[in-house]
Amino acid sequence: MSANGKPKIAFFDFTSCEGCQLTVIDSLQDHPELLNAVEIVQFREAMSEKGEDYQIAFIEGSCTRQSDEARLKAIREQADIVVALGACAHLAGVNALKSLHPLEEVRKYVYGDKWDWYETYDARPIEAVIPVDFAIPGCPIDRNEFIAVVKALLLGKKPPIPDYPVCVECRLKENICMYTKGKVCLGPVTRAGCGAICPTYGSSCEACRGFISNPNQDSIKDVLAEAGLSVEEIINIYTMFTTYQVREKLLQKG
Amino acid sequence: MSLAILSKPAFRDFVARLLADYRVAGPVAHNGSFIFDEIRDPSELHMDYPTTLLPPKKFLLPIREVLFRFKRQDGGVLQAPPETPPTVLLGVHTCDLHAIQLLDTVFSSGHYDIHYVNRRKKTLIVSIECLGPCDEHSFCKSMGTLTADEGYDLHLTDLGDQYAVDVGTQAGKELLEKYASAKPADKEDVQRLNAVISAKWPRFSYRLDFDVSELPSVLELGMKSPLWEELGQRCLACAACTNVCPTCFCFDVKDEVELNLVDGQRVRQWDSCQLDEFATVAGGHNFRASRALRQRHRFMRKGKYILDAHKHLGCVGCGRCARACIVDITPVGVFNELYRQQQAGS
Repeated sequence: MSANGKPKIAFFDFTSCEGCQLTVIDSLQDHPELLNAVEIVQFREAMSEKGEDYQIAFIEGSCTRQSDEARLKAIREQADIVVALGACAHLAGVNALKSLHPLEEVRKYVYGDKWDWYETYDARPIEAVIPVDFAIPGCPIDRNEFIAVVKALLLGKKPPIPDYPVCVECRLKENICMYTKGKVCLGPVTRAGCGAICPTYGSSCEACRGFISNPNQDSIKDVLAEAGLSVEEIINIYTMFTTYQVREKLLQKG
Repeated sequence: MSLAILSKPAFRDFVARLLADYRVAGPVAHNGSFIFDEIRDPSELHMDYPTTLLPPKKFLLPIREVLFRFKRQDGGVLQAPPETPPTVLLGVHTCDLHAIQLLDTVFSSGHYDIHYVNRRKKTLIVSIECLGPCDEHSFCKSMGTLTADEGYDLHLTDLGDQYAVDVGTQAGKELLEKYASAKPADKEDVQRLNAVISAKWPRFSYRLDFDVSELPSVLELGMKSPLWEELGQRCLACAACTNVCPTCFCFDVKDEVELNLVDGQRVRQWDSCQLDEFATVAGGHNFRASRALRQRHRFMRKGKYILDAHKHLGCVGCGRCARACIVDITPVGVFNELYRQQQAGS
């Protein structure tokens, strides 16, 4: 806690596009009073100062290098509360797609003949490296949800992340169902909280927020198959953001 | 009460005059479909709409509403939310009218819901008779909701170039007198209305394989049917069925605070018995943890429990849930399958 009684918070980034941190900055446009509620001591995307005495750490990005682990552990050591910020930190997200191919092949594809100059390993969510208290899902995060999470943390409450599907928000917005339009959509198994932003603007849900705790996987696979998708297409659409989770599940099953 | 005649241009003038004094909502076009929405001009109305995505219920029980505002200090000063303006709901179909009658009963009996009742008291309903089925999913004729004798302030029937206006309440009578240039119906108008009404009935078909009076017993006998397990396997628990339903009235209540952590508001928003968390209680136990149990609960509510408790059926046959379900779980399909199983077993 700083002398003015405000909790100190810090933002960190690992492998990501930094779009979630930009969304945090964007959220300040609607909620400048956030700066009255907390003191931001470190936020590379937005300021030069670097304080190390934070209580809440928001981490964007997946862990994709062995050498990232020490930095993550140091953040965990300092922070009372660690929050995964966005799909890369929460799920490993699209970064995990590389694990579908042999690592050496991926490195050569990306870095050409200098491939062994750059360290990398299979992308993982930060909770695979350190304990994480809460996650703000999404690619990118939803700015209103970010503010709602900050408020909950300041009140000592569990952040209000929904555990119901995107369809709930989509229907209440009176969108035409993507399936009615002849398209496929992962809304029925994906965690809500985004306000169904993609279907609202005409794109199908791709599960960037991860799955709800109890998705009906068998039924959604049948729905996708009935819509004419091949097994390969179903796997592709299903694992865009959740390759790490689907692989872990398969590995657990053996 | 009485019957009046309003020409189509006179109806437009009626709506235009209402707009000066009321919030006016009715069926409008939306993304190739129709929704109930507030209008600014009579030309936005599509009185011949087939059905809407969400029912007009949202103007009486908003999807999300602030119940009151509070402060987390000084003894928690409470402040009531802004009042709903006087509203006229236009173009309500008779299925939805029956649903609103159920909601009126639910919210004014037992726990008297002041938020709903206050809003309802300020709402006038101008309903409209359906002259043809909206699509293959509706089954209003089987549910006895193809017409309505009450529940409206004014009820319209489209006679081509004019509307027959049935006056249902004193408030409706006053609305018509003050805002519309209607003429009393003469003998010829009544004959024309009767002809239109008689002609509409054969256009609708009965879709239940049994009389609706048997529905509660069909469900009661079907409690242990293997059908529920089969529905549970298909159901995605996406809650589309309950969110589009005109009779569902379950809600959740939560507190939200501003970033100053002092000012806040208590809000309520629609909830759904189909969601995992709905029946999860303190301590983590979920007393309807399976999708099969939740689907059974939903249909029991629609065809039996609500009737037992409130003397109105919980399903009005509008067909919205059948249209919305990605995995084709429909009331007609479920009710008829239970009946078939019982016929086969007896």
